[in-house]
Amino acid sequence: MKDLLIIDNLTVSVGTKLLVNRVSFEVGQGKIVAIAGGSGSGKTTIGLSILRLLPSALSIEQGSIIFEGRHLLGLSRREMQHYRGKHIGMVFQEPLSAFDPLFTIGQQMDEVLSVHTPLSGPQRYKKILEVLSEVELPDPLRAYRSYPHQLSGGMRQRAMVAQAIVAGPSLIIADEPTSSLDVTLQVKIMELFKRLRDKNMSILLIAHDLGMIAHLADEVIILHQGELVEKGEVGKIMSGPKHDYTKALIEAFQ
Amino acid sequence: MKNVVKHQSRIQLAFASFRRNRVAMLCFWALMVLYGMAIFAGFICPYSYQDENRDFSYCPPTKIEFYDQGHLSQPFIYKRSLTFNDIHRRVYVTDHAVRYPLRFFNNGRLFTVEAPGRLYIWGADARGRDIFSRIWYGARISLSIGILGVLISFILGLLIGGIAGYYGGWVDSVLMRLCEMFMMVPGFYLMLALRAAVPENFNSVQVYASVVIILALIGWASLARIIRGMTLSLRERDFVLAAKSLGVPDIVIIFKHILPQTISFSMATLMLTVSSYILAEAGLSVVGLGIQDPIPSWGNLLSDAMEIVPVIFAPWILLPGLFIFIAVMCFNVTGDALRDAFDPMFKE
Repeated sequence: MKDLLIIDNLTVSVGTKLLVNRVSFEVGQGKIVAIAGGSGSGKTTIGLSILRLLPSALSIEQGSIIFEGRHLLGLSRREMQHYRGKHIGMVFQEPLSAFDPLFTIGQQMDEVLSVHTPLSGPQRYKKILEVLSEVELPDPLRAYRSYPHQLSGGMRQRAMVAQAIVAGPSLIIADEPTSSLDVTLQVKIMELFKRLRDKNMSILLIAHDLGMIAHLADEVIILHQGELVEKGEVGKIMSGPKHDYTKALIEAFQ
Repeated sequence: MKNVVKHQSRIQLAFASFRRNRVAMLCFWALMVLYGMAIFAGFICPYSYQDENRDFSYCPPTKIEFYDQGHLSQPFIYKRSLTFNDIHRRVYVTDHAVRYPLRFFNNGRLFTVEAPGRLYIWGADARGRDIFSRIWYGARISLSIGILGVLISFILGLLIGGIAGYYGGWVDSVLMRLCEMFMMVPGFYLMLALRAAVPENFNSVQVYASVVIILALIGWASLARIIRGMTLSLRERDFVLAAKSLGVPDIVIIFKHILPQTISFSMATLMLTVSSYILAEAGLSVVGLGIQDPIPSWGNLLSDAMEIVPVIFAPWILLPGLFIFIAVMCFNVTGDALRDAFDPMFKE
């Protein structure tokens, strides 16, 4: 199967320190690929590199990021902006701070649609309600009209996913999407991601929770201090880890 | 939907808190009255601002009579005429034999007096012009110039501060050095220098516009610096990164997601700056560089009171100063109250 996203030899540095060191992997169409590793292993840095939203102190030293056959690192600012949201969506760890507190969920989703689509106001409204019910928010209309603080944590995270997929991206980068939620809600969000995968969406899941990765992902990439130590199918890696760090990571979760 | 809790937005909460502040509400309504008087000056005032009568130079306030020999009657005034006493001072002699009745809703004005009587409820200036009328016509200039100047300052300050803070780097450096150039010169001297750059043969509208622009130019820099500082911290917030990750254009992020967060600061500063601009316009006009006679502004009305002799014999020419004081104080109190109302840490 053709790969949606190919990351080849990616190296990111801050000053002289390498945060990500020659990492290569692929995300196939309709696959959930997880990046696992401890804090500071460069997981989030890879996610932000794909969208080219790294903090200004960090720079991509070498490597290439190819999405749907195009080199993202060679795009102009304007072209890149077109890819963000429209082709690649991102789900953040803490939905409360990732929504602007001054606007309703509906207004913020509407903003994304009005940037990326030629839809009229009523069409956008209809589309947003559709997406809000697609992520199984119990009362889409209420969610549309709610300010972020008026929703519960689980509903906020669903709204965040809805915002990420509203413009119809083929890849979602989810940065620790369940870390701020309790266990039952985590399961629900994981099921939501599975359903999105079944609709042929690819998901790059950034997580440290191996239990969740085993449950959800198709492939896993283990990062340790910026270096890729192991990659492959989840089942194989979980049952037969080859690298010492992977073994330590799995043991820590048992 | 039933049982829905009615949530109040932050702005609604702030205004509710503002309304509970009685002093601030009083000042707010006082401002509304001042603006109302200014807007309807053409109706409220008995004379136009340039209606002069040299026979009534420094005429003291006219007493309106409501009683005729102990009986309530239609309001009227007695005839007064100018004489000079033995040391050549003006003395107005009241002639109780001649009366001029007041006319209401006559010629599109709320109240006037039958000619040739002259009605000066707050006295007259050197050229026999009605101070009351000139104060309210002057309010149009003084009260609007502050607001217009502040609006331009704010557009400049928010735009430049927002862009400098959001983009950082060399954009920030260039814009901030520009701000510093304006902040380096003391405000009043900057104002005089800018005024000197304006051609002398301007008509009154051009002078008005140039004063607005001068005021705007002295105030934007300090605001831009503060907005830049707030933007520097706001741009690191998650929702800004989230908006970027969704492909929202930078300019939309600055105007929709960053600048509105500075509203509590901006609202209060806006009110406080209006008062300083009213004072600045008055300062410019007092020294004869602002709005030119015969167009009245509170500043140039007050410039008549620069000499001590007229003030001693006609103290009512100081009245415009009282209105400058009231307007400035009301703007300050309202601004302070708004800042407190928007400050989530502030407890009543």
